[in-house]
Amino acid sequence: MRIVWLSFIFLSFFSRFQYGYAQIQNIREKQDSVSISNSTQQIKQKDIKKGLLSNALEALSGQSAGVNVTTNGADRLAMLNSVRVRGTTSIMGGNDPLVIIDGVTSDIATLSTIYPADIESFNILKNASETAMYGSRGASGVIEVKTKKGTGKGFEISYDGNYGFESMYKHLKMLDAEKYISTGEALGLHYNNGGYNTNFHDVITRTGLLHQHHLAFSGGSVNSNYRASFGFMDHKTIVKVNDYRNLVVKLDATQKAFNGKLTGDFGVYGSSSKIHDIFDTRMLFYSTAAQNPTYPAGPDANGNWVKNSAASHINHPGILLDEKNDSKESNFNTHLRLTYQILDNLKLSAFGSYSFYSTEKAQFCPTWVWAQGNVYRGEFKGEDYFAHLSLGYHNIFGKSHFNANISGEYLKQTKTGFWMQAKGITTNDFSYNNIGATSSRPFGSSGSSYESPSLLSFMGNATYSFMDKYHVTATVRGDGSSMVGDSHTFGIFPSLSANWNLKKEAFFSNIDFLTLLKLRVGYGLSGNLGGITSYTTLNTVKENGIVSVNGAPTVTMGSMKNTNPDLKWETRATFNVGLDWGMWNNRLMLTTEFYYSKTSDMLYAYDVPVPTFAFDKLMANIGSMSNQGFELGVSVIPIQKKDMEMDINLNLSYQKNKLISLSGEYNGMQMSASDITPIGSLYGAGQNGGNNNVVYQIVGQPLGVFYLPHCKGLVKNDMGGYSYDIEDLNKDGHVDLSDGGDRYIAGQATPKLTLGSNISIRYKALDVSIQINGAFGHKIFNGTGLAYNNMSIFPDYNVMKGAPEKNIIDQNVSDYWLENGDYINIEHLTMGYNVPLKSKSVKSLRLSASINNLATITGYGGLTPMVNSYVVSNTLGIDDKCTYPLYRTFSLGVSVQF
Amino acid sequence: MKKYKNILWILMLVLMSSCLNEDLKDQLYEEDIYNNANNIYVNAVAVLYNYIGGSADSEGLQGTCRGVYDYNTLTTDEAMIPIRGGDWYDGGLWENMYLHQWNANDLPLYNTWKYLYKVVVLSNKSLSVIDTYGHLLNEEQKNAYQAEIRAIRALFYYYIMDMYGRIPLVTSYNEMQDEVRQSERSEVFRFIVNELQEVVALLPDEHSNRMGNHYGRITTPVVHFLLAKLALNAEIYCDDDWTDGIRPNGKDLFFQVDGEQLNAWEACVRYCDKLAESGYVLEKDYSYNFTVHNENSSENIFTIPLDKNFYAAQFHYLFRSRHYNHGGALGGASENGTSATVSTVLAYGYGTDNVDTRFERNFYAGQVVVDGKIVQLDSGEPLEYKPLKLKLNLTGSPYVKTAGARMAKYEVDRTSHSDGRQPDNDIVLFRYADVLLMKAEAKVRNGEDGFWELNQVRRRVGMPDRNATLENILEERLLELVWEGWRRQDLIRFGLFHQSYDQREQLSNEANGYTAVFPIPQKCIDLNPRLEQHVGYK
Repeated sequence: MRIVWLSFIFLSFFSRFQYGYAQIQNIREKQDSVSISNSTQQIKQKDIKKGLLSNALEALSGQSAGVNVTTNGADRLAMLNSVRVRGTTSIMGGNDPLVIIDGVTSDIATLSTIYPADIESFNILKNASETAMYGSRGASGVIEVKTKKGTGKGFEISYDGNYGFESMYKHLKMLDAEKYISTGEALGLHYNNGGYNTNFHDVITRTGLLHQHHLAFSGGSVNSNYRASFGFMDHKTIVKVNDYRNLVVKLDATQKAFNGKLTGDFGVYGSSSKIHDIFDTRMLFYSTAAQNPTYPAGPDANGNWVKNSAASHINHPGILLDEKNDSKESNFNTHLRLTYQILDNLKLSAFGSYSFYSTEKAQFCPTWVWAQGNVYRGEFKGEDYFAHLSLGYHNIFGKSHFNANISGEYLKQTKTGFWMQAKGITTNDFSYNNIGATSSRPFGSSGSSYESPSLLSFMGNATYSFMDKYHVTATVRGDGSSMVGDSHTFGIFPSLSANWNLKKEAFFSNIDFLTLLKLRVGYGLSGNLGGITSYTTLNTVKENGIVSVNGAPTVTMGSMKNTNPDLKWETRATFNVGLDWGMWNNRLMLTTEFYYSKTSDMLYAYDVPVPTFAFDKLMANIGSMSNQGFELGVSVIPIQKKDMEMDINLNLSYQKNKLISLSGEYNGMQMSASDITPIGSLYGAGQNGGNNNVVYQIVGQPLGVFYLPHCKGLVKNDMGGYSYDIEDLNKDGHVDLSDGGDRYIAGQATPKLTLGSNISIRYKALDVSIQINGAFGHKIFNGTGLAYNNMSIFPDYNVMKGAPEKNIIDQNVSDYWLENGDYINIEHLTMGYNVPLKSKSVKSLRLSASINNLATITGYGGLTPMVNSYVVSNTLGIDDKCTYPLYRTFSLGVSVQF
Repeated sequence: MKKYKNILWILMLVLMSSCLNEDLKDQLYEEDIYNNANNIYVNAVAVLYNYIGGSADSEGLQGTCRGVYDYNTLTTDEAMIPIRGGDWYDGGLWENMYLHQWNANDLPLYNTWKYLYKVVVLSNKSLSVIDTYGHLLNEEQKNAYQAEIRAIRALFYYYIMDMYGRIPLVTSYNEMQDEVRQSERSEVFRFIVNELQEVVALLPDEHSNRMGNHYGRITTPVVHFLLAKLALNAEIYCDDDWTDGIRPNGKDLFFQVDGEQLNAWEACVRYCDKLAESGYVLEKDYSYNFTVHNENSSENIFTIPLDKNFYAAQFHYLFRSRHYNHGGALGGASENGTSATVSTVLAYGYGTDNVDTRFERNFYAGQVVVDGKIVQLDSGEPLEYKPLKLKLNLTGSPYVKTAGARMAKYEVDRTSHSDGRQPDNDIVLFRYADVLLMKAEAKVRNGEDGFWELNQVRRRVGMPDRNATLENILEERLLELVWEGWRRQDLIRFGLFHQSYDQREQLSNEANGYTAVFPIPQKCIDLNPRLEQHVGYK
């Protein structure tokens, strides 16, 4: 094992709370409550990571078993898409968990704009019996976010501020100019010597800067209170083209009336974020690594860029920085909840919300990147109307508690879009601000769209508990969507869960050291429509081309897909059983949970035969997939004194996914999809198509497995170097690298085991905490290593240090570059100091220092094992020339409350 | 109480049906686009022309990569894309094409199949649209629309049969999946010929390459050209067992043309004559057919209309072939790929004193001059293409980037977009010089003399006459029609495709000629197990 000292050293001064362990803390606090307890995991503000959080998602990372927050490596801002709760359960999509912010339906992207300091708690629902109340929308887990509200304790004002900087400390090591030249000479190759020695990583990076300010006021009484907050963040990452700016305004008010029988909650939330980026980050990193190091860092005296034209897959990195891919996102939403206590045991609640969101995108490509330039503008807007009405009843009959609830809800969305792309620019000076100054806007380069899907649901649930020992909850939910086939509009999804407080039984109550013992079990169905959109089931047509009719270019209409009018809900059945233990006054706590879920009628774009189909894919409900896992949480408080306290928390999650089948019946016809489908291949010079597939989807295997030729070692080839010696696995006398040839399943891309852990120590007013995450049991294909160690690309493309000595002249994929992806990453170390104050006006003042992502312990040979190992896409499990350089962040901040 | 309950139910039903309905705003229901004769023409007939050219890989009959054109060109002695260091290895794709080591799992072969059959199925659908909405058409419109659709379908079946041999013949939009089975190649061939013969009289007798009412459309001459091709290759297409070494004789294969029974060669000649009657002649200037504004050529018969501002179809071959700096000097970029094989440049007499005049019209060799300036490499040295240094794997060669003669056939459109992939030159699919050479060959094969036809073609480019032997005709086809997508078919007809040629060795098991058809893509067999793989690929 070697240690890679990794990014993120945070110094910060913002959280005034101790770390805790999310799930267990939750149980600690809840154990006496009447409500049915389950594996719901709550991450409270005190657990929300300290240090410099650039968005709320970072707060989730490593905090809860089964929840994975991942980046795709190239683009840190794109991590918005990448939260998985218990892995991937659907191939088509709909794997993003549902986000509910104060009752308002939202999404991961919006969550990421919320200022971490405004968040009171995250609540993560994983089992079907818990997500039941959200129906189909919660099929892939639910993240409930509760934001801070007025406390009703009079006027308060608080300020949190951070100031930080980031600097790169590690990047790929390519040949420098001297070695580049000597290698070219030694091999007798014709190379270009530009006379410089440039490290192009210096060209594209800078010192990153980040500052955040957050101001919150609250006031009022118990019966009438408010809270208002303003947050601002500005982040310039170490790569020159990435800037991010976010402004958030939030106002919440609560009013009680009629002797407290009526409660009104009103909230407004608005955010505006601007992202500056380039549209081909992967090209940027590829170019940075592979550019001829003898070329200058910038343009020559005449302002011209020296091109390395023989390396056609890359460009001068400095040129690429002039690309623009900017977006501006605005969100506005408002909600009102009225709760009225009709009778002592009957409560009526009405909730309504309206959300507006808009994304403006603008891209520009100057003429020195693409000959005719390129300008793109697009605006995408949406409105959601949501209404929820529920009636709750509860009663106590002796030792029995009874709770029942019926509700109905309706969500109507309207989404519109408009975009245009143009080429043939006459000047680069307009950037994307004047799309009129372009000569070419042909068919297909502009468009607009409209859709308005809706969802109507009815739900009833009832909970019965006896003697506070036995709890049973049953839920039935009916979801109707405009998007499924007419005959399958409604899906019915029931669930049942039970909970047994063993500690209250006579046989356990006298075991003194045991303070908590609870058994939970649940089963439920949920529906998912994630992969389909408004018109998937309809036989609709739109423009599909332009041809000459009677001498005039004429737009034609037609269908571009096979239509399946019988689409229905994808269904997932989940069973879970768990046991919670608490010992020695809950200073040692264990939670254990096993789950099994099976997705059936799986929505997927199945391969269909052409002919008789015109198109090769048909969206249908055919296959099935299973997920199972075991989650373990441990929490220990070895020291708990007035002046000193120590907390150790650990969560482990074992996950196993299996694609059971992609075959079945459709319309009386047996559909037999191919058992082996490639989903990820390599990119770049000489890697376009052919036998370049790496990651596959194979029936009977987890989604995303490596299916590769086996390399026995290196052999001399006739080009004076070495080739990969590929084994003839099927012993037919010749090596066949194609998909059906000499390949074998060499491992899976998703981790089998993930780890999150946190240790915190407090001594008087000083505290220290450390966060460690890890993943095990998966592999990573080191495509970067393969490409930059292949001497056939030299001297057009630069190679890695050490490549000339290895002298491999071969770019075939094989398991030679498949490596273990196991890692342990020390995400951050935080030190805090709560300044003891005697002042009447200042309630608290905290200073803290943290070092984040202290180190990565891994056997992986590439730059970092933290590639996309969770999201099923064409980058899954492949490290392919696009890894972000590693960097550290230092920051200063203050948090004060009046 | 019960009354209220009923009202509640009715309310709920109303709510549910109205709440969960979605109005279409940015698209239409299919029935709305076939509401009058004009719209039926546009959306059921003209719509199919979107698929003659293409912009994505494996889509389009020519202009794009990894599709029909590549499998008919880069698999022959005419062209190759060599491995150039880090470029063009692409998982062995191009190497395997040249060496005939393609495989039923090759994705581009599957994509090409999907593309061709997509147009067939959409044509079947269009025919069913004409049936369904026939009441909106008068008899003349109905006949004309059906004829045009059937001609397009036959065109695509021709390409499918030529590439894949024994293929499923699906002729109705309502055909059940479990009825789909392969037909013998001869059966497919007869179907195509019959279809074309039946519809030809209903098509307009117009020059489709010219801008105007019939620009880009299938007209009578286009069908005549296809029928001539079918007749010329009838010996191949009527051979259902192409690995047994025996093939039928063209003199015994009969066609009904204009009420007469003609053998394959006579039929070919007859259709060629019809094209002459339609007014096609050789352009005085060979290169005029490939100019940026080639719409007025009197020689081009069927083209893919290209206009960067109107149409989506693209033309990648100049872009793919020339050197990076060559493309850069022209204001765009390039991929430094496709090169003429050594045997091809030698056929033109390259390196001798008697170079065919068409060599420099088709290829760049030696130093390249753009705008009066010699194009330079990054090192400052002049770019010099080395036609004779070409090898399949150039890695490590001093000519790794410069070996091979490059494509010059089409005039460079300096206003083109996408780095030269969107010029305005229409892509030539069928032209009259081919007709003359077909006629010469058919006559020779029928025991007549094709001297006049062959030498018309040669004299146009100032080359001396040659005797009309089959060998000379095949060579003339290379010299005249080089890189126009015919070479594979020609080599197969002359029995040479499975032999060793240029730098290619015959595969160990190729002597029976099984590579004359491509394998049925494995994925098609997976999805329809009734399909049977060809001999040699099992």
